[in-house]
Amino acid sequence: MSAPALAIELNVQVLSASGEPLQDMVVYAEPLDGQQLPATDKVVSVGQKGKSFAPYVSVSQAGSDVLFDNQDDITHHIYSVDSDARFSFKIKAGEQRLQRGLDQSGEVAMGCNIHDWMSGYLLLVDTPLFGKTSQAGAVSFDTPEAGRYRVTVWHPQLLADNNREAQTVDVQNGMKVTARLTSGMDETPEQESDDDFDFLSEY
Amino acid sequence: MLNKGTVFAAIVSAGAVTQVSALESKLNGIIDYRLAHSDTSDSYRQGGIGKFGTDNGGQAYLGQAGLQWVLEWDSGLSFHAVANGYLDGEDNGLGITETFFKYRGIPNDSGHRLQSKVGLFYPAISLENKAFAWAAKNTLNSSTLNTWIGEEIRLLGAELTWTRLGKLNDADYDLSFTASGFFNNDPSGALLAWHGWTSSSRQTLWGEKRKIPPLEARKSGFKLEPQAAESDPFLELDDRPGYHLQTQVRWSRQGEINAGYYNNNARTDIVEHGQYTWLTRFYYVGARWLLDKKLELTAQYMTGDTLMNDVYGRPVVDNDYSSAFVMLSKRIGKHRVTGRIEEFSVTDKDQTVGDNNSEYGKAATLNYTYRYSKPLFLSVEHSWINSDRPGRVYSGEPADREERQLLLAVRYFF
Repeated sequence: MSAPALAIELNVQVLSASGEPLQDMVVYAEPLDGQQLPATDKVVSVGQKGKSFAPYVSVSQAGSDVLFDNQDDITHHIYSVDSDARFSFKIKAGEQRLQRGLDQSGEVAMGCNIHDWMSGYLLLVDTPLFGKTSQAGAVSFDTPEAGRYRVTVWHPQLLADNNREAQTVDVQNGMKVTARLTSGMDETPEQESDDDFDFLSEY
Repeated sequence: MLNKGTVFAAIVSAGAVTQVSALESKLNGIIDYRLAHSDTSDSYRQGGIGKFGTDNGGQAYLGQAGLQWVLEWDSGLSFHAVANGYLDGEDNGLGITETFFKYRGIPNDSGHRLQSKVGLFYPAISLENKAFAWAAKNTLNSSTLNTWIGEEIRLLGAELTWTRLGKLNDADYDLSFTASGFFNNDPSGALLAWHGWTSSSRQTLWGEKRKIPPLEARKSGFKLEPQAAESDPFLELDDRPGYHLQTQVRWSRQGEINAGYYNNNARTDIVEHGQYTWLTRFYYVGARWLLDKKLELTAQYMTGDTLMNDVYGRPVVDNDYSSAFVMLSKRIGKHRVTGRIEEFSVTDKDQTVGDNNSEYGKAATLNYTYRYSKPLFLSVEHSWINSDRPGRVYSGEPADREERQLLLAVRYFF
């Protein structure tokens, strides 16, 4: 039995084409040399708050459960229409629900069937190395295995093929990678009703 | 030790738990209490020719006690019942205004969604009456256009709506088409013909009749002698369904437009117990738009006709009508100011003696509402209507009339 390898830190900074740091971009790193990475036990939480998906974009490893957390004082009817991860359920005020069976990687577009303006995304990836960038555009991963990785940046409003841009990185020691995007970003849609009256008789 | 009783209780409680988890019950409503001072004639609600919901002079009254109960299943099926009560000494009433089942499916992967309604419900025409129990959102009195919808238009039938959701189609708007088939709206048009356009917050309850104003033509020996003293808008007399078609486009964070066609498809030669069938048809178009986040523009236009024949098929009442309003509503924190202007008309095309339904008028409404707390709204509203209606002479009043109403209201939503 060999001792576990020391974690290697991979820092990624995501910059726009004009060099500005980009926040809330999903970044994930997939091994290209057959490195074996243990699946994460991280349970990602997708909140409903202020009649919107909060956060708007989430990322989780395919096969993990995802926690839906309704922090509003009303019921939501959450759904996804993606064929690999189709689900729908009602979640009452203050309730939480652990959603299982999200086993296929891919982009899951979610909505609420009561509040049509609500829109959120969940990206399911085949790697435990995933995260979202901070205000400074930075995210970091600890990997136990050196070697080549494909580092991908994804966002539903990234104007690139499949909404993602990738680069291959040979990770040996702790290293810092800059992902300067070549594609532009569309405006992130605001999840907001067109009517701010609180006592509407809908649904 | 288990006995029969505990086993039974366990089964019952297990059943109850299952039911509770699959069902959600919601009760919402509105209480609207008002002080009114009006310079008008006796209200149309009691067979008068006044255009407001109250008589001349002052009064304090319960303008609306509305309750809506929604029972929702996890599947997207829901049951809706809406009751409204009015206590104002005019025509006090308590009853059902809508009751229906609704099913809203989950969109498919192309963002297409089907929704259906079965029961008694309003067609989604009004862009004002969107609060609980069909209360108007920004004013106390509805426009003449929507006051009429609330008085004579109701669908007892089935409706199917197809929606294409923009967010699943890279579009910033949702597109819907709705088709409905309905019964029990055969005499609709009668009240519009005989009292003209009116403005109030009163909805007609299911089964409720409304007095019609004095008409020369209802006197003995005249054409309308068989007409009952009260009109019942929600009758089925010819066993023929009517239909309603609508398209709606809704832009997220911007607003919506709707356009549609209503046709009650009534035969025009039936009279039963003094209630005639009226062939009533109209087109409408409306828009609600946020000019900025707190400035809302609403406008609706309707134009149509209504025809009532005698049993020999000769026209007795043959009217064209139209009504339009433009409303601007601005919110500044807890304050909201709303202004609305209207123009309306009825054109009498028949030759019936003693039944002139022609009318032309304008109206203006100014409302200030202060949101005292989240559910409590204090409003003051002034309405002005100037209309020329030759048929007023049957009530011994001049054809041309200017009417005013000042309302103070406390509205509580829950």
